[in-house]
Amino acid sequence: MKKQQAYATGSITESIVAFAQFSRSHGLNIGVEETQEALLSANYGLFMQRDLFKSALKSIFCHSPEECRIFEKLFLLYWDTNPVDMQEQNRKSSVIGVVEKKTNASLVMLGRGKFEEDSDEGKNISGSNETERLKKTDLSGLSSMETRTLEEIARKLFHQMSLRLRRRMKDSQRNGRINLRRTIRRSIGYGGEPLDLLRMSRHPKKTRLIVLLDVSGSMDKYSYFLLLFICALRENFKQLEAFIFSTSLIRISKALQRGSVNRVLAIISEQAENWSGGTRIGSSLQSFNEKYGRQLLNGSPTIIILSDGLDTGSPVLLTDELKKMHCRSKRIIWLNPLKGTRAYAPTARGMQAALSEVDDFLPAHNLNSLLELENMLAYAG
Amino acid sequence: MVSFENPGQIIDALERQQYVAESEFATAIYLLLKLHKPLLLEGPPGVGKTEIAIVLARLLNTELIRLQCYEGLDVNAAVYEWNYQKQLLGIKLQEGSGLSVEEKEKHIFGHDYLLERPLLRSIMATDQPPVLLIDELDRSDEEFEAFLLELLSAFQISIPEIGTIKAKHKPLVILTSNRTRELSDALKRRCLYHWIDYPDLEKEMRIVKKHLPGIEENLLKQVVHAVQQFRDRKLVKIPGVSETIDWAESLLALGYRDLNAASFDQTLGCILKSAEDINQVRAENVDVFI
Repeated sequence: MKKQQAYATGSITESIVAFAQFSRSHGLNIGVEETQEALLSANYGLFMQRDLFKSALKSIFCHSPEECRIFEKLFLLYWDTNPVDMQEQNRKSSVIGVVEKKTNASLVMLGRGKFEEDSDEGKNISGSNETERLKKTDLSGLSSMETRTLEEIARKLFHQMSLRLRRRMKDSQRNGRINLRRTIRRSIGYGGEPLDLLRMSRHPKKTRLIVLLDVSGSMDKYSYFLLLFICALRENFKQLEAFIFSTSLIRISKALQRGSVNRVLAIISEQAENWSGGTRIGSSLQSFNEKYGRQLLNGSPTIIILSDGLDTGSPVLLTDELKKMHCRSKRIIWLNPLKGTRAYAPTARGMQAALSEVDDFLPAHNLNSLLELENMLAYAG
Repeated sequence: MVSFENPGQIIDALERQQYVAESEFATAIYLLLKLHKPLLLEGPPGVGKTEIAIVLARLLNTELIRLQCYEGLDVNAAVYEWNYQKQLLGIKLQEGSGLSVEEKEKHIFGHDYLLERPLLRSIMATDQPPVLLIDELDRSDEEFEAFLLELLSAFQISIPEIGTIKAKHKPLVILTSNRTRELSDALKRRCLYHWIDYPDLEKEMRIVKKHLPGIEENLLKQVVHAVQQFRDRKLVKIPGVSETIDWAESLLALGYRDLNAASFDQTLGCILKSAEDINQVRAENVDVFI
């Protein structure tokens, strides 16, 4: 059995090793190497003073501020627990918090809650005409059967799109800088005359993308596909940062790194407590600017906002925050699913307020409109 | 090379170099020196991440080699490059010498024609380990990070034309990051970690005092207090410690002995670096800060 407290162990070495195991089981990324270093540091005399020893272990075991916080708790729990106070309980939950899967919540949140009921309608739709039709169909008007077909098409097309984006970057090799190293090497054979000019590919300048996805109630019908779209973008833009917001803002970049959409959904539903409520775009962007703006908006990222602009917050706040983002980014692209409807005019207060600060205002109601973004992104770099 | 018995000695030694460090940080540095494991420092700008490398090099009486990272930093700029102009000349000079192609090639790809960039230089040190500062690593690309990973674990660099160069003394590596992007877990695992935050009132006063020994207690307290207040506000650019020092220095240079409404207003640009921030602070009552 794993030792959960220092008093349960017999020697210093054993307690340190057990502490490493204990920390590992609570999510710190600790391998044999770290354990060894912890033992070494104890050997350097740091064990004699509690604070020093704690700092030493901290700098070896932790790799981010979040981990530091977990470590503080673990350290207390492990080294300071008195056998008398000891009660049998599940340590894991007391440290990091209960993590339960709420897969259903994610489905409801993304407007697919009714999915289960009519999944038996076994109509098989196929053929290219159908595909073309579906690509143009507004995502909100889909039947659940079509949703699934479209999901497959979307996966395929998004994947192709990200492949194309990558290829385009490779093609730019022809007019690159001269590769002096190779040219000189080749020229030795010609007695020093650089007859063949060998070129090197220009390093593709990587666009940093920041995507903000509105997942409020009014976006329910669209958000799942938009999330798929973001996953596809992530394939190509490794430095993609993604956030979802409705009344509050959540960063999902880490979740996206795991790859599959379903994992992302599961993670999102774990984090989202009160979902599908109203939208406060302004204050969401404000918390983006406050929390992440200083870090992420330093270079020249392209920001994509996916939202219908139906804002219940103050339009002034929205404009102000957008302005802040605008002057620290390369461009802001606002994709609005409602723009696809013919009679649409950006009259919603929020949308009107935003327009002046947005570089591109584009529709995002069907697959085609999303795929058209490819051209824009290909040259964004 | 100076050696330390415990973190306490490091605190004292740093103090003598005008650097104020608490025991947690000193312990991290102690481990860096003992375990020879790279130290990754994260934290907001202007809290002394870069400074510690400079101070440490001075303290150990060793060379500081600095690599500033940026988007698009590649191996040519970070590790080594051949001196092409010299190579072209070299080939020309050899024209009549009757050497074979292989001999010529060997000649122009020799050490004389090699330009050492920071990373190569750091592992070529012969007498004692240098301090290698890899600054703002988060600005570089993922590819470069992957390359660095290799270097930080093996401390050797392969040059196809010459062969593998292995470090005689492992450099003391300090990496800094402002967290504009998350560094890879693999890289983090190779490093010790320490988060430097903004100092509290008392510590910041000590830091400023170290840099400006002539400052009067009254002004010092006022300045640091005001800066601490600024940090509580939602500013576009939060002032770092270096800005606090700048500000105090400016006030001294202008001959002010305390921070009043006039001097506050006049020198606000030393501490706040954006128009919005200045307007926001001006909109509040000056008494809050003084």
